[in-house]
Amino acid sequence: MDPAFRRDDEFRNDERHVEMTVSAEHSDGLPVILPGVTLTSLSSHIGDAVLRPKMPLWWWIGFLFSLALLLVLVIASTWLFVNGIGIWGVNIPVAWGLAIAEYVWWIALASGGTIVSALFYLTRSPWRAAISRIAESMMLCAAASAGIMPILHLGRPGFFYWLFPYPNAMDIWPQFRSPLLWDFVCLLCYILMSLMFYYAGLLPDLATIRDQARTRGRQIFYGILALGWRGSTRQWRPYKTVYLIMAAIMAPMVVSVHSVVGLDFAGGLTPGWHSTQFPPYFFFGAVISGIALVILLTIPIRRAYALQPIITEYHLNALGKIMLTGSLMISFAYVWEAFGPFYGSEVAERTMFTERVFGLYAPIFWATIVLNVALPQLLWWPAVRVNEALLALIAVGIIIGMWCERFVIVVTSLHRDYPPSEWGNYAPTLWDWATFAGSIGLFLTLYFIVLRLVPIVPLAELRELLRDTAPR
Amino acid sequence: MSDPAALYGIIGEFPTPVGAVAAARQLREIRLRLIDAYTPYPVEELDEVLHTPPSLGVALTTLAGAVFGAVSSTFVQYWAAAIDYPINVGGRPYNSWPAFTVSSFEVTLLFAVIGAFLAFLASSRLPLLFHPVFGAADFARASQDRFFLAVEAADPHFDAATVRAILERHGAAPIDEVLG
Repeated sequence: MDPAFRRDDEFRNDERHVEMTVSAEHSDGLPVILPGVTLTSLSSHIGDAVLRPKMPLWWWIGFLFSLALLLVLVIASTWLFVNGIGIWGVNIPVAWGLAIAEYVWWIALASGGTIVSALFYLTRSPWRAAISRIAESMMLCAAASAGIMPILHLGRPGFFYWLFPYPNAMDIWPQFRSPLLWDFVCLLCYILMSLMFYYAGLLPDLATIRDQARTRGRQIFYGILALGWRGSTRQWRPYKTVYLIMAAIMAPMVVSVHSVVGLDFAGGLTPGWHSTQFPPYFFFGAVISGIALVILLTIPIRRAYALQPIITEYHLNALGKIMLTGSLMISFAYVWEAFGPFYGSEVAERTMFTERVFGLYAPIFWATIVLNVALPQLLWWPAVRVNEALLALIAVGIIIGMWCERFVIVVTSLHRDYPPSEWGNYAPTLWDWATFAGSIGLFLTLYFIVLRLVPIVPLAELRELLRDTAPR
Repeated sequence: MSDPAALYGIIGEFPTPVGAVAAARQLREIRLRLIDAYTPYPVEELDEVLHTPPSLGVALTTLAGAVFGAVSSTFVQYWAAAIDYPINVGGRPYNSWPAFTVSSFEVTLLFAVIGAFLAFLASSRLPLLFHPVFGAADFARASQDRFFLAVEAADPHFDAATVRAILERHGAAPIDEVLG
């Protein structure tokens, strides 16, 4: 054991201190940090990973693959700008196709990052620290992919700035009563707030990298980004306050973001959408799919960066439990969604629901149920929650399942509207799929750049955790 | 302090926060006030010993930001929908405020966070790319694994020999003079 911690006994025996840091969480006997990690080894391990002169092969392979996918997005959106959204399969009645389904899908994935980093900061969960940077980076990258989707979907993407309430020569204003505008405001605020939250969390770590940097260019780059942070007591005190305040604001924010996305649908007079359960229903989807993506990123990063001592089975276990909780929550919403049409007296609702479950798109509906409801039940077994391969498999299943769910909500509702004269089918075209693949490319490219530039675990927080969890 | 060659202060490096806290306590006892600690993670005990002022400004600025966001966003929506560009939709009220609350909520939170972030930068005096303590020997480790305690020469009770002795007694090594 590092002698630095043995002498910390004075602090840990202070009752007030214990009260501040002890979490009521049940650990299942797994350690949150493996013994042997010290302040020195932590900083040098993570610092070396950021400052290595050459990135390893896995990074280059991943980055170039992502870049190739991003190129697909560039080509697909250029073709879209030239030809208009007629190149997609969307038409009346199914005017919202893959682009909107994927917008909802991406924003749910993004929300998972904030759920981990803000909600579980407030609960003082000890597993949150080591994976919060992975999760928050994921949030920002996924929000970029989410943000481009509705813009591409606009008939005339060049005019997207008309959504801003700015004084203009046309003397008109956006429709402030529309959920679609709420959604725009919401997403914009969410991304700006997340950037500030991310940067605030990153600041002390940037100072660590600045102090470890040996080349002039990196010293200047990280020196400017770190703003001259020196870890003074007079800086840490407002820092702690501001981080807590930001987390306390981000937590309700992330709940509202996906709820407002739900209102986009609930506000529409379409069978299957016009339901008061949509805001929480969508937030449940954010919990399950967001955590799934956090797991899917944590498992390879943990291996690639040899982070097993700080991202332990404790973390996987905790994430697995949350994913299971998310699955139960969304299952509840599915039951309610099936109950509604048969409890009410609206024939169109029943027609649409029957068509959803047994019609053309039924395989996608049942895939949703299998992947989001049935498969995650494996997580009841503790052995599954600490098995990387099974966790990753379930997480991939959920991410695909949530994509199916979004597709089903968007498409099946529109393809059986009230009058039978408005019935019609939708099939994505090659360009729909190209845009989808490209949005994954955008996410991955941004994420690989983050991996290159940013310490992937929050060092300052882990140092605190190290002190709090040192054996007594 | 304007003379760059003048002594800024004396800084000691501790391997643990315990030594730094004990030394800070003793330095406070001999009525030194211009003491600051530089640590790789927040050490709450140092706040108490050094009497770091609570960051009430951050909380108040957050509140001010929230109020600004709430009032301005509600006003923009009200003004656009009810005064500048009223549209009569089936006799519904122009000032349909329940529909404005969602956007107002989001903008309120946005400005609260902007306020908090700016107040944090102001109260921690950032950005400030250079500070004399960066010149101290081994100071790069203040952001990694060592705990530093600095006493400014500008303190009326400053006496280099006494400060050195106290830092040394609590295990500081090395002890460096910082010019600024």
